[in-house]
Amino acid sequence: MSLLAAARDRIRALLARREAVYGINRRNLVLVYPNNDRRDYPLADDKLLAKERFAAAGVPVPETLAVCDGLFAVPGVVEALRGRSRFVVKPANGSGGGGILVAGEWLPDAGGWRRAGGALLTPRELARHLADVVFGVHSNQLEDRAFVEGRVEPHALFAALWADGLCDVRVITLRGEPVLSMIRVPTAESGGRANLHQGGLGIAVDLATGHTSRALHHGRAVERHPESGAPLLGLALPRWPEILEVARRAARAVPLGYLGVDVVVDRERGPLVLEINARPGLEIQNVTGRALGDALAALADAPSGLPEPRAAGGSAA
Amino acid sequence: MIIRRTLMALAHPRKVAITLVALVAATAGLMLYKVRALGYSLADVLPVRQYEVSYALRLDGHGGDVRVRTFLPASDARQTISDERTESTGFHLSQVLDGPNRVATWVGAQVPDGAAIRHTVKIVPRRVSYTIPADLPVPTSYPASTAAALRPEKEIQVDAPEIADTLARIGADRGPVMERLRRIHDFAHGLTSRPFKGTTDALTALRLGEASCNGKSRLFVALARATGIPARLVGGLILEPGSKRTSHQWVEAYVSGHWIPFCPTNDHFAELPERYLTLYYGDEVLFRHTSDVNFDYRFEIRTQLVPSPRAKASFTFLDVWGLFDRLKLPFSLLRTILMLPIGALLTVLFRNVVGMPTYGTFLPALLAAAAGETGAGFGALAVLIVVAAVATARWAVARLELLHSPTLAILLCAVVVTLVGTSMLADRLGIAGLTHVTMFPIAVLAICAERFYLSLTEHGPRAAGKELVGTLVVMLACYVVMNSLALQVLVIGFPEVLLLAVAANVYLGRWVGMRLSEYRRFRGLLGAGAPGGAP
Repeated sequence: MSLLAAARDRIRALLARREAVYGINRRNLVLVYPNNDRRDYPLADDKLLAKERFAAAGVPVPETLAVCDGLFAVPGVVEALRGRSRFVVKPANGSGGGGILVAGEWLPDAGGWRRAGGALLTPRELARHLADVVFGVHSNQLEDRAFVEGRVEPHALFAALWADGLCDVRVITLRGEPVLSMIRVPTAESGGRANLHQGGLGIAVDLATGHTSRALHHGRAVERHPESGAPLLGLALPRWPEILEVARRAARAVPLGYLGVDVVVDRERGPLVLEINARPGLEIQNVTGRALGDALAALADAPSGLPEPRAAGGSAA
Repeated sequence: MIIRRTLMALAHPRKVAITLVALVAATAGLMLYKVRALGYSLADVLPVRQYEVSYALRLDGHGGDVRVRTFLPASDARQTISDERTESTGFHLSQVLDGPNRVATWVGAQVPDGAAIRHTVKIVPRRVSYTIPADLPVPTSYPASTAAALRPEKEIQVDAPEIADTLARIGADRGPVMERLRRIHDFAHGLTSRPFKGTTDALTALRLGEASCNGKSRLFVALARATGIPARLVGGLILEPGSKRTSHQWVEAYVSGHWIPFCPTNDHFAELPERYLTLYYGDEVLFRHTSDVNFDYRFEIRTQLVPSPRAKASFTFLDVWGLFDRLKLPFSLLRTILMLPIGALLTVLFRNVVGMPTYGTFLPALLAAAAGETGAGFGALAVLIVVAAVATARWAVARLELLHSPTLAILLCAVVVTLVGTSMLADRLGIAGLTHVTMFPIAVLAICAERFYLSLTEHGPRAAGKELVGTLVVMLACYVVMNSLALQVLVIGFPEVLLLAVAANVYLGRWVGMRLSEYRRFRGLLGAGAPGGAP
C-alpha cells in the first residue's frame, strides 16, 4: 500500500513539476520563437556577424587577426599570419567545433607553426584549410568565411580544469538577464570540444556567487574531471560579476532575446564573449539541478525584474 | 506577476483557436455536404474482398482439333468483374452473349497433349437481400421475357402430377407469393443433402427425398413454376480461397420485376451471401468440350482486400481517382501521394510527442511509401543495407576532403550501385521481396545515408544509431498506417480529411508538453520538490 502511495505521490510531484521543467517544445514556443526573430538568427549562427555587433557595442571579444572571405583572399591571409604565433582559424558558420584549426608557435627554421600534437603546420596546409572553409566544407553550405583569432590564454582556474582545450562559461540570458549558468569542460572523449552531448562535462555555477556546486558527465554526478582528475566543486570563478556583465552586454548587443552566451576568461584581458547561440540546449537544467521555469520565475519575481520584450522583433514568431 | 504571465504564455491564442475551429468546421462541412447532397456513403470507405478466380483447364488434344465451351461471369448489380485475362497458347477465344450468359469458346487446331488454358477474372461480389411484401398476390400475367421461366424442361418436370400433389401437400398452391416461396424453399431445403456430383432431376429428388444442390434447385424451380411463379436455375461457384472443382447451383424467382435469389441447399431465402459467384443462368452444363481429350478443370481462387468499387463509382466530386485512371497513372501512386501528409503527421507525433529522433520530418513517410513495393521488412532491410554501404563510401570520400555537391553526387552513385547489387544478390539467392529494392527512390536513400553519416561524425555513433533506429521505427509505423486501405479510400473520397491533419499539426505546433523521452531525461528534476532556492 505504501508503495502505491509513494508511486502516487511521485506521479503527483511529476505532474506538478512538468510545467517548470522545460522540454524542447516548450523552449521553442515560449522562449525561442517569441524572443528570437528568425531573421536575426544569422547574428547567432555567423560568428563574424556577431563579432561585428559586439565590437560596435563594446563587448570584449577575442582579437580578430584576419578574415578570409574568398579564395582570392587566402594567400594574403597566409602571408599576414606568417611569423605570428598562437592563433585559431574558424569557419564563420561552423557548428559543433568542426573546421577549427589551432596553430601554436611560429617556427622560423621550419617555416611553419607548431600544431597541438607537436606536428608542423605548413603555410601550404594553412592555405588549404582556409580554402576548404571558404568553400563551405565545414559548414554544410556552399560557401563560408574563415576568420583568424588570437588564441585565448585561459585563466589559471580554467586551465587547471582541462589544459588541452578551452573551457567556457555558458550563460543563458532572457532579454539580457542571466537565467542559468554553467561551465562546459572538454574531455579527451569529446575531442577537445565543450559540447555536453559530445561527451563534455557541465559544472553548475551559482548565478549569485559564482561558485561551482555540482558537475555532471553523461548525466552522472561527478566531483572530479574523469581524465585530468581536477576537482570541480566548490570553485570560486574569477571575475564572476564581470563575466555576467559581459554576458548581459553581449545579449543586449543583438536583437535576439533568448540566448546562450559563451564566455571565456582570458588570463590578461578577462572575460571575452566567444559566441552566442539562439537555441541553447536544455541540459543546463540537469547540470544545475534547476528547472528553467523556476529560474525564470525567480528572475521575474526579483526586485530588478525582467525587462519587457523589445518592441522591434520581440513578438514576431 | 503580470510579467510572469507574459513570460509563460503563448502568443496569439485566439488566432490559433480560430484556425483550428475553421479547419475542423470546413472538414465537417465538406464531409456532410458530400454525404447529404452527393450521396457519398462513409461505409463505402471500407475495403471489400476481391476474389481472383482462375479457370485452369487441361486437356490432351492428341494433335487434333479441340473446342471447349464454358461460361464466364458477367458484371451485374451483385458482382463486379474486372481485369479479365486469358492465357492459352494455340487456342482462339471467342465470346458471345446468349441472353444473360457470357459464353466463351476456345478453339484450337492440332492441339498437343497436355495443353492448358488459363482464364482469370477478378470479382468483387456483394451480399444481397430482398424483402418480399407478405401480402403480394401471385400475378395472373407476366412479361413475355419470363415465359421460358414458367415452362417445363427435360429435368424440371413442371407438369408432373407429383409436383402438383406436393404443392398441395405443403400448402404452396395458394396464398400470396411470399408464403408459397417460403413453403417451397423450406421443403426443398428440408430434403436430405447428398454430396454426389451427378445430375438429379426434379422428380428424382422428390421421389428419393434427398438430393445435392442441383436436385434441390431443380425441384424448387419445378414447384415455383407449377404454382405460377417464374423461376430459373443459376450456376456458379462458392468462392473460397484455394483450389476447387465443385460448382454450385441455386435458383432465382421472378417477383415484382426482380429476379430474387434463393439457395435451398444452404438455406438462403431471398438473399445471397457475398461469396456466391454467378456464372450462368438456366439448366446448363458448365463445360462442354470435344470428346476423348481427357479434359480436366480446376478453379483456383485467391482473395485480397481492395477499395470498394462503389466508392470509386460514387466518389465523383473533383474526381482525382477518375483523373488518374484517364491519365493511366496507377492507383498506388494516387494513394501514396495522398497518404504522405498522414505519414508526416505520424512522424511529427513521434518526434514532438514521443521524442523519437528521426532523419527529418518527411524521410520516414517517404521511406514507408517506398516500402509499399517491397513490403515493410525488406524495405527496412534495404534502408539498412544502403545506409551501411553508403556511409562507408561517405567515410572513404571524406578522407579526400571534397566539396559538398560532388560528395553528394558520388554518394548517389554509391546508392545506385548498392541497390542494383542488392537486387542481383537477392535474385541469386531467390529472395523475391528484396529484388524490388531498385524501386526505392534513390534520392531518398541517398539523403538518408548522408544524414546518417553527418550524424555519425557530428554526434557520434550512439546518436546516429538512435536516429537510424528511430527513423526505421517511425517508417514501420507509417507503413502500417499509410497502407490502411480504408484510410486511403477515405482520403481519396474525402480529401478534406487532410485539413484535419493540418489541424492536428496546428495543435501539435502549439503543444508545449514534455516529450515522453524528456520525462526520462529530466527525471531528476521532475522528482524534485517545490522550487528551492539557488543551489
